[in-house]
Amino acid sequence: MRLADISRLAMGAVIAHRSRSLLTSLGIAVGIAAVVLLTSIGEGVHRFVLQEFSQFGTNIIAVTPGKTETFGISGAQISNVRPLSLDDSAALGRLEHVVAVMPVVQGNAQVEFDGRTRRTMVLGVGSDLPQVWSMNVSLGRFLPPDDQRAPRAFVILGAKVRSELFGERNPLGQRLGVGGDRYRVIGVMEAKGQFLGFDLDDAVYVPAGKALELFNRESLMEIDLVYRAGSSAKNVRGGIERILRARHGTDDFTVTTQQQMLDVLGSVLDVLTFAVAALGGISLFVGGVGILTIMTIAVRERRAEVGLLRAIGARRAHVLQLFLFESLLLSAAGGLAGLALGLGLAMTIKVFLPSLPVHPSLEYAFLAELLAVLIGLLAGVLPARHAARLQPLDALRAE
Amino acid sequence: MTTTDVLKFAAGSVLGYRVRTLLTLLAMGIGVASVIVLTALGEGARRFVTGEFQSLGTHLLIVLPGRSETTGGPPPLFGETPRDLTLDDALALAHSRAVRRIAPIAVGSAGVSYREREREVMIIGSTAAFLDVRHLKMASGRFFSTGDPRRASPLCVLGAKLKHELFGAGPAIGHWVRIGDRRFRVVGTLASEGRSIGLDLQDIAIVPVAAAQALFDSYSLFRVLVEARSDEAIPRARRDILRIIRQRHEGEDDVTVISQDAVVATFDKIFTALTLTVVGIASISLAVAGILIMNVMLVAVSQRTAEVGLLKALGASSGSIMRVFLAEATILSLVGAAVGVAVGYAAIRLVDRVYPLLPLNMPPWAVAAAVFVAMTTGLLFGVLPARRAAKLDPVAALAGR
Repeated sequence: MRLADISRLAMGAVIAHRSRSLLTSLGIAVGIAAVVLLTSIGEGVHRFVLQEFSQFGTNIIAVTPGKTETFGISGAQISNVRPLSLDDSAALGRLEHVVAVMPVVQGNAQVEFDGRTRRTMVLGVGSDLPQVWSMNVSLGRFLPPDDQRAPRAFVILGAKVRSELFGERNPLGQRLGVGGDRYRVIGVMEAKGQFLGFDLDDAVYVPAGKALELFNRESLMEIDLVYRAGSSAKNVRGGIERILRARHGTDDFTVTTQQQMLDVLGSVLDVLTFAVAALGGISLFVGGVGILTIMTIAVRERRAEVGLLRAIGARRAHVLQLFLFESLLLSAAGGLAGLALGLGLAMTIKVFLPSLPVHPSLEYAFLAELLAVLIGLLAGVLPARHAARLQPLDALRAE
Repeated sequence: MTTTDVLKFAAGSVLGYRVRTLLTLLAMGIGVASVIVLTALGEGARRFVTGEFQSLGTHLLIVLPGRSETTGGPPPLFGETPRDLTLDDALALAHSRAVRRIAPIAVGSAGVSYREREREVMIIGSTAAFLDVRHLKMASGRFFSTGDPRRASPLCVLGAKLKHELFGAGPAIGHWVRIGDRRFRVVGTLASEGRSIGLDLQDIAIVPVAAAQALFDSYSLFRVLVEARSDEAIPRARRDILRIIRQRHEGEDDVTVISQDAVVATFDKIFTALTLTVVGIASISLAVAGILIMNVMLVAVSQRTAEVGLLKALGASSGSIMRVFLAEATILSLVGAAVGVAVGYAAIRLVDRVYPLLPLNMPPWAVAAAVFVAMTTGLLFGVLPARRAAKLDPVAALAGR
């Protein structure tokens, strides 16, 4: 028997039992659609999170006080016995390949202008912030590169603080009270929105040296630095460790590269996507059982046909191929329909629910289709082997 | 046809085609089992997390320095404020009649060393009340005694892991360790069960709060834990805390008070939503199983066309034919659901035995819901084939066409 004959016979069988074939394929289609849709959402969330994190640029290295192996807030950022100082920050700025460096102190204080007050986040930073965090001023200018040990009392407003305290008035040049001290407003930041729940617009930016005074502390919470694109993060990291070790005498700091953080996040999100895909896979599995059931029924119904085929000289292999092909046809068609359904649903979500990040990934779609075909093959093997093993005489007698 | 006849007829068909029946049951069983296991997982995780938060203490209020203006946003979880939340502030809170006890907390990180071994860990400065407020247990020795919290006695209590890292299996009590540049005498070690979200209580050292403030040269507290007298006293305690702090801070409202109940409720909500989502995804497989039941029923109808013709010729109404096939679909889905419940239950028991730490919990409503959904699916998907059978023309059906 030629391949063309086999495919024609199988196709004929599929078409002859139209509603049955439709339902069988539908089972697979629902499973594939679930997998495609869920992986699209997983992939969308993945991209969204990575984008959130890389909006500050990817060549960032963060140095925090205290030695910790895990991510997250460590006690050392709050208090420690070996402070990370402004001088440390300045020393790191002289490192080769480092283009910008910025000390960070964060706190919460009351800001006051003309009788209006607001409690807000106060960020003590350096003049390099626009470069390090990829943020721009929309009005005025950012902090000047003063000597961090004795900076002038300038403040930059976040977009929200500006609108809450000044409304439509021009804030530039005005005097703003921050936690009791007086600062001159020299700039307003562009609206940046939320980052991990922190409203970056509900903040004011003051020189780090001033913030240390304001909060009466010695240690910075973090030093962020940017290295030249193209230079290796490992070298820069090595340089940072060398300098700080020389200055402190011990390893009492943690260096985290942005790439490291993205990698960890990425692998966590990959696991998540995989888990969600596996959940959808349960449906696919049930769909596979459906194919198995229907193929078993088909083999039983068509015993006479198999007998006849064998009687006129068809080999066992041919019968096997015939049923396998039929099962493949059912699953592949179901897979394609599911692909269309899943992608369609993903697109619908994209249009009607733009806040839910959806990103259909071709890679997963292809894998899903492959999986469907594989399931068809696996589900077809048992019934097809059963059909191939039938004795021609017995099979014919079933008529 | 009587109900017994209908059931007999349907059962005959179910038993007559064993392979087909088994496979259909398998499909339904997988769906139901996955729904049940996933519900148990979600429910277990929810109970675990809320339980963890509840074990932080009872009637607990947490006072943190700083406040943000936008309500609903995250509180200023860490960071500095111009006016510290001081030990005196914390002690003043105890004057409220709604407050049973308070535990001030100062936090920092420093190296703890004993002989040549050193380990950098989180240092918590607190008072004697900390043990009771946080419901911690001691493995050996004692906690700090209730004395003047402003005295910086050189005593410390070690977490189980830290103790093991520094002293191995040997005794730690009575030995002097160096924390930062000061020396402290170990008076006790914490029991190893003290594990809590966000903070590994096994890898910490606890020192008197005044000692921690001196060590880190900082007078600001990280948190104040306040235990209210009773559930009813919580709102009053919250009002009192805000009033006392306002008085002490020259009329400024610069602290945030979080109640433990609010945190627990939030996590409860998050986990319930998560469980529902996961179970919703898993129940897609129930729909797929339903499709299979419909398919099998369609096959059954076409195979038994002659039988249906005969029944009709003998005077069976369309209604009773329909009942026969609906009964078959229901039997398939119900038995499938039973298989699923059994498999799911077995899986949960197995996981329970292998990972006793994972608290799996099969809520009865989940079983009921899964069985109900399975039965409804079977009935729903059985309607079309049953109607097809009922509509058969007896003459044509008898003729086998």
